[in-house]
Amino acid sequence: MIPMKLPTKIDYKKELEAASKTMIMIHDPKTLMRLIVRMIVSKVKVKHAGMILYDAQRDTYIVRISRGERGLKIPAGYARLDHKSSLIRVFSRKEYKSLSFRQNALVLDDLNKMIWQESVLNGVNNGIGELLHLAKEEMQMFSAIACVPAYCQDTLLAILLLGEKMDGEHFDQDELDFFSALASDVAMAIKNAQLFTDLKKEAERNRDLFLRTTTVLASTIEAKDRYTRGHTERVTDYALAIARQMAANGSLTFPNNFFENLYLAGLLHDIGKIAVPESILGKPGKLTEEEIKIMREHTLRGVEILKPLAELEESLKGVKYHHERYDGKGYPDGLKGDEIPIMAAIIAAADTLDAMTSDRPYRKSMDKNYAIEEIKRNSGTQFHPVVVQALVELFERGEI
Amino acid sequence: MPKLLIVDDEIDVCDFAKHFFTKRNIEVSVASGGREALNIIETQKPDLVLLDIRMEEMTGMEVLRQLRAQNNNVKVIMVTGVEDEGTLKESQSLGVKGYIHKPLVLEELEKIVMGELLEK
Repeated sequence: MIPMKLPTKIDYKKELEAASKTMIMIHDPKTLMRLIVRMIVSKVKVKHAGMILYDAQRDTYIVRISRGERGLKIPAGYARLDHKSSLIRVFSRKEYKSLSFRQNALVLDDLNKMIWQESVLNGVNNGIGELLHLAKEEMQMFSAIACVPAYCQDTLLAILLLGEKMDGEHFDQDELDFFSALASDVAMAIKNAQLFTDLKKEAERNRDLFLRTTTVLASTIEAKDRYTRGHTERVTDYALAIARQMAANGSLTFPNNFFENLYLAGLLHDIGKIAVPESILGKPGKLTEEEIKIMREHTLRGVEILKPLAELEESLKGVKYHHERYDGKGYPDGLKGDEIPIMAAIIAAADTLDAMTSDRPYRKSMDKNYAIEEIKRNSGTQFHPVVVQALVELFERGEI
Repeated sequence: MPKLLIVDDEIDVCDFAKHFFTKRNIEVSVASGGREALNIIETQKPDLVLLDIRMEEMTGMEVLRQLRAQNNNVKVIMVTGVEDEGTLKESQSLGVKGYIHKPLVLEELEKIVMGELLEK
């Protein structure tokens, strides 16, 4: 006799296989879960199906999704299983695999046989028999005839709940194997998503620590040279404001991470001064030629100090060249015009503005108006014209 | 047959709970809002009301207040999410038979509801 059902069974299995191939693309556990459950209900034609997921925050197992007939499907987030639940206890036991007739699912039909088997092997009042009995009752509460657990490294992460088939047939081993694979996919997606979140958090923490350490490092120079106190912060603020204005003007398109690198360069532009003797840094009178030479080395000293840090590679341009001049008469390399990295040109203007408007050992601070006029006068010679334009705009709007 | 009224503005919850308790030989009616609930309580006089606190149109607390204000002492079990102390205290003073927190354990839901319904 040719079983009439065979062709349709093969058909829907092909469909399932095709569907699961596309599912490999989906990383979001919630989406994956939703698709799987929907697929099971429509293709395998069960009255309802759902998934229970472990919730780490609440340390409990919650029914996250359920599809199927009204009254049978469980509203999302409505029901949970805690660690005392018999199903959870059964699935959490290491010996579970040997308990079940199937390798990968707990099927209601089998449970009676399993309970009987336990009572034969271990006596009527054995704990496991009792546990299986309670698990059976729990499954019936969910109107489930099969439960498929999914683990990740021995931790139970998910359970696929299956209601009875529309045609009342049993699940065959092929189908249970398939469900088991799908449930594992979800467990893996959950684990991966968790790992990804953890990694991101870790990366953010690292970045945060790096920025804070840099700020601490920058403050060492202020401890040494009191005239620098606050200078670094102000220069950085001015530099960022100028850069924002330039971006708003559309005068330049900045590469990725420019602002963060500028921020770091601003914080660290004078770090090289740590190598300059206090006698020179704090000298009230005019510097000798020798002293000027030592002072000017602070740009290169800064680069030496920061070189080991790969994260600062871009920012080093701002540190090394913040004393270059647009007309090529600056130091250390005498770069001219657009040879000067724009980051350095911005810091140069910001640095000068703050130097002029704060007290120094050799002169009192100047009026801001005057300082801006000076900078304007030196546009194209000492300073990059576009940078000056942005600075002037900020000043005129009262933002600097 | 004992009569149970389920009040919840989520239709899936009403469907599920109705199916759940009907299987246990309880006569179940459902209401998706406060006004509907008050109507049914007046006309059908259920033995127990399973009342969700968080509803859009009229909260479970408002339903409870109105019931008690009308001197209706129907047995109520409140279904809560995470409520503040004030709400819980108030409901206690208005008289409820118990609480169940979402997400709930089905076994506990069964126990508490059947317990109240089958109490002579």
